[in-house]
Amino acid sequence: MEIEVKKELDIFIIKIIGRLDAVTTTEFEAAINGLIAEGGNKLIFDMGELQYVSSAGLRSFLGTAKSLKAGNGLVAFFSLQESVNKVFQMSGFNKIFKLFNSMEEATKFMNT
Amino acid sequence: MFKNRGIAFKLILLVSASSALIFLLILSYNYQSSKKMIEENARQNAWNLSRATVNRIETALRSVQKVPENLACYLENSSYNKDELVRVLRAVVETNHEIYGAAIAFEPHAFDRNALYFAPYFYKKGGKTELLYLGSESYKYFYLDWYQIPMELRQPQWSEPYFDEGAGNILMATYSVPFYRTINGGRRLMGIVTSDISLEWLRDIVSSIKILKTGYGALLSRNGTFITHPSKELIMNDTVFGIAEARGDKTLREAGKQMVRSGTGSISYKNIWGKQCRMYYAPVPSSGWSLSLIFPVDELMADVVKLHRTMLFGGAAGIVLLSLAVVFIARSITRPLTEISNAATEMGSGNLDIDLPSVRSHDEVGRLSDAFHSMRDSLREYIRKLTETTAAKEKIESELKIASDIQMSILPRIFPAFPDRPEFDIFALIEPAKEVGGDFYDFFEIDATHLCFIIADVSGKGVPAALYMAVTKTLIMSKAKEGITADRILMKVNDELSRDNDVNMFVTIFCGILDTSTGEVCYANGGHNPPLVIRKDGDISFLGEAGGLVIGAFEGMTYTLEKLMLGPGDTVFMYTDGVTEAMNEKEELFSDERLERELASLNVVGIQELVSGIMEKITFFTGDAPQSDDITMLAVRFLGGKTFV
Amino acid sequence: MRIVLILFLLMYSSIAAAGDQPLRKASFMPLWSTQTQFAGYYVALDKGIYEKYGIDLSIVPGGPERPAADFLMKKKVDFTVLWLSTAIQRRAQGLKLVNIGQIVQKSAIMLVAKKSSGIKTYADLDNKKVSLWEGDLSIQPRMFFRKHNLKVKIIPQSSSINLFLRGGTDVASAMWYNEYHTILNSGLDPDELTTFFFHEHGLNFPEDGIYTLEETFMKDPGLSCAFVKASVEGWVYAFEHPGEAVDIVLKYMVREKIPANRMHQKWMLERMKDLITEQGATDKIGMLKQQDYELVADELRKEGMIKSIPAFPAFYRQCTGYVQK
Repeated sequence: MEIEVKKELDIFIIKIIGRLDAVTTTEFEAAINGLIAEGGNKLIFDMGELQYVSSAGLRSFLGTAKSLKAGNGLVAFFSLQESVNKVFQMSGFNKIFKLFNSMEEATKFMNT
Repeated sequence: MFKNRGIAFKLILLVSASSALIFLLILSYNYQSSKKMIEENARQNAWNLSRATVNRIETALRSVQKVPENLACYLENSSYNKDELVRVLRAVVETNHEIYGAAIAFEPHAFDRNALYFAPYFYKKGGKTELLYLGSESYKYFYLDWYQIPMELRQPQWSEPYFDEGAGNILMATYSVPFYRTINGGRRLMGIVTSDISLEWLRDIVSSIKILKTGYGALLSRNGTFITHPSKELIMNDTVFGIAEARGDKTLREAGKQMVRSGTGSISYKNIWGKQCRMYYAPVPSSGWSLSLIFPVDELMADVVKLHRTMLFGGAAGIVLLSLAVVFIARSITRPLTEISNAATEMGSGNLDIDLPSVRSHDEVGRLSDAFHSMRDSLREYIRKLTETTAAKEKIESELKIASDIQMSILPRIFPAFPDRPEFDIFALIEPAKEVGGDFYDFFEIDATHLCFIIADVSGKGVPAALYMAVTKTLIMSKAKEGITADRILMKVNDELSRDNDVNMFVTIFCGILDTSTGEVCYANGGHNPPLVIRKDGDISFLGEAGGLVIGAFEGMTYTLEKLMLGPGDTVFMYTDGVTEAMNEKEELFSDERLERELASLNVVGIQELVSGIMEKITFFTGDAPQSDDITMLAVRFLGGKTFV
Repeated sequence: MRIVLILFLLMYSSIAAAGDQPLRKASFMPLWSTQTQFAGYYVALDKGIYEKYGIDLSIVPGGPERPAADFLMKKKVDFTVLWLSTAIQRRAQGLKLVNIGQIVQKSAIMLVAKKSSGIKTYADLDNKKVSLWEGDLSIQPRMFFRKHNLKVKIIPQSSSINLFLRGGTDVASAMWYNEYHTILNSGLDPDELTTFFFHEHGLNFPEDGIYTLEETFMKDPGLSCAFVKASVEGWVYAFEHPGEAVDIVLKYMVREKIPANRMHQKWMLERMKDLITEQGATDKIGMLKQQDYELVADELRKEGMIKSIPAFPAFYRQCTGYVQK
């Protein structure tokens, strides 16, 4: 797994590449916690190149969402691949997370 | 050969060999230069000595030459008669002690027209001086060397030396001086004045030459004949050429030729006693003789040889000492090394408690030894820690195993679970992964006609997952009371779990309640993989597309209650993601599609065979790839309503 | 035939010796003082060969002041060594001496010149100073000069070679076995010298031969012949054992207080072998060839040194003929 982070104003756009599973979540969580510690409370995850997410990955997203919620932060996702989208659907995460088709939509959501 | 030798051996060999080589090179250079110096010295000495000796001989010869020369001068410049000649001649012989005899020999008829011979000769015999007139038919003195040679050459000549028996067998030589008279403006040879001169003094001069211990001088005549020599047999009997001929020594012959031609030079040769010598030779100009000085090389070189022998012994002793020092140093290195090596071997075999050699020095070996000590200590410490860790790990593993066992034990594992309930059949199979996993299933009767069954998957693994699972299972059990619906169970359990859930763990769960009298299943899905419904006729389909959120994530979530009607023989097949995400070695997933296909293709009667069949398929599919997640399957089959009459 | 005769002779003499016959006394005088020029006789004496042949021989030392021919003539010795040219002249003068064995076949007398004096061939001898020995030793050189029409200044030569060595003469007489070696051993190399051997110039005068008075011979030919045979045997032994032969001669030289130089005596013996044998073959030692005799006699007659040539058979008594009687 690789993470590419870019910042647009107060929004962190985090591109996750590869697989997010039990092995890689530690690294992922460390990176995200780093961003939150920096004061980031608007995170958009670019899921376009995330091929797989396990339950551990979901747990990381959940933890992130909870952390941000406590600080009035926001989290959003866009460009979910079919398999990842399926996991989100199946686990009901689509009900608690904002999923968008594109980055524009996601940033728009963040800014409103 | 060399490769297998010890450091000490190599050091000794290299150090000794190279120092010996250096030493020998220096020694031989020194020897060569000393030799050159000594040879140069000897040459100088020889030259000085021979010059001094030749001067002495020359002086002596010149003084005796004077007598006949003066006589010849007198004869040329005076008129004389027989009596006067005899008187003068007698006076010459009597007043010159070195002269043994003297003659005035005239040319044929030169003194007296009527006499062929006229040659008065005085000689000493028995203390008296006697007169003899030379010349007779049997003694034609004109043809004798002492007369003929100076006559033919028209110059004074020294004869070849000879032994004179009459004078007591002493070494003599005759010096002959021609004398002339001017007649009618022409210079006419009148005769020869001779004087026989003892050469014993010459022998004394030459034999007094002492060179080193056994070196000597020798005098050679114009013909190369030995006039003086320490070996009596050679004197007047052999020439340098005879010796060269006997030896076949061309160099000596060449030197001899130089000598008889009044040359100066030197050669190396073996003297008549076989001793290697250096011979220097120089001419005695007035007689044409050659003085040679013989330097025995061993005596010449004795001091140098002695010095170099001492140096050689000293050097050898030095090299031995050096070798000993090298041995000592090498030992001081190799002994601890050997001990360390032995200790390492011992340590390699597992004994860390052995005593390591103590090296007090602070050199490389000392540091190696120190390093070895600290390595031993570190190893010991590491082993100790490893032992502890291993013990701890084993304890944890054993505890995990126990946890896993406990976890398994809280799942209903006895099938048939409800042997007295013909309306349905239920079968579950769990294949835990290596670690304690988070999968679980459960089924229990809520009341006489309602069977609650759940399959769930706690996110994460290990003890937290197991504990979370136990909590979840207990919560479900406590919530599943009579009259409750599946969605409400999930909602309640979710609320309970979500409250103060700081670890963000969650559970995907499918919960169904079968009305055993009607075959109706009311169910709710909290983010779990959708079960499959296998109709009796073989029709197979996934159950419900969108479920609710996983439980334990957010409090206050609601779940949708769905209904499904089962006919007798219809089956609900539930599974966790360990089934569909089972991976083979090519990292391909078993997948929903394959599960559906395999379920459709399995031509089995009972649900136990169905579940086991799928397990076999999974095992076959994954092959040797390790199992990464729990594999759990739960199948419920409705067999038909039971009417209580 | 000859071998049979020699064998017979050997048997005869050994039988004679073995037969307890008293040894016959005989005396012999060499031409010159003791040296290996006469090795055969001294070896035969020393090795008991004369005794074997029934002769009790005494050697009377020769020398410059003791002319062998005179000693023979005055019957002071029984046998002597003379040059063929000397003997022919004596015989022609009426002295009844006979040759009973011609030992030396080739003349050893020679002329030696230094190349440095410009003498390379005999033509270069013209107008040169030449030292010659007196008497019969100058016969061949004089004939040689006349033959080649050379005008030379002849001066007498003493018994030493020093005049030549010191440059007092251009050319010197030398005996190959004696003075020539002395010259070499005075530091002149062979290639620095020009040599003239008379046997190479048609003037081969065989030198040392064994002579006795005809009277002596006729009285006891057996003795004469035994002497010759024993002497020849001595020569053969000397050639076969040169080292021993030199030792024997040196022993006699020391006894006579003559300066003895081994290398010189060795050289002399080697040259004697060249002069006596035909390329080392020893079986014909002692033969006087008639043509050699006639050449010498003829040259002497032409020189006017003899008036007529003595008859060969009367001059040369080949022992075989007498022993057979």
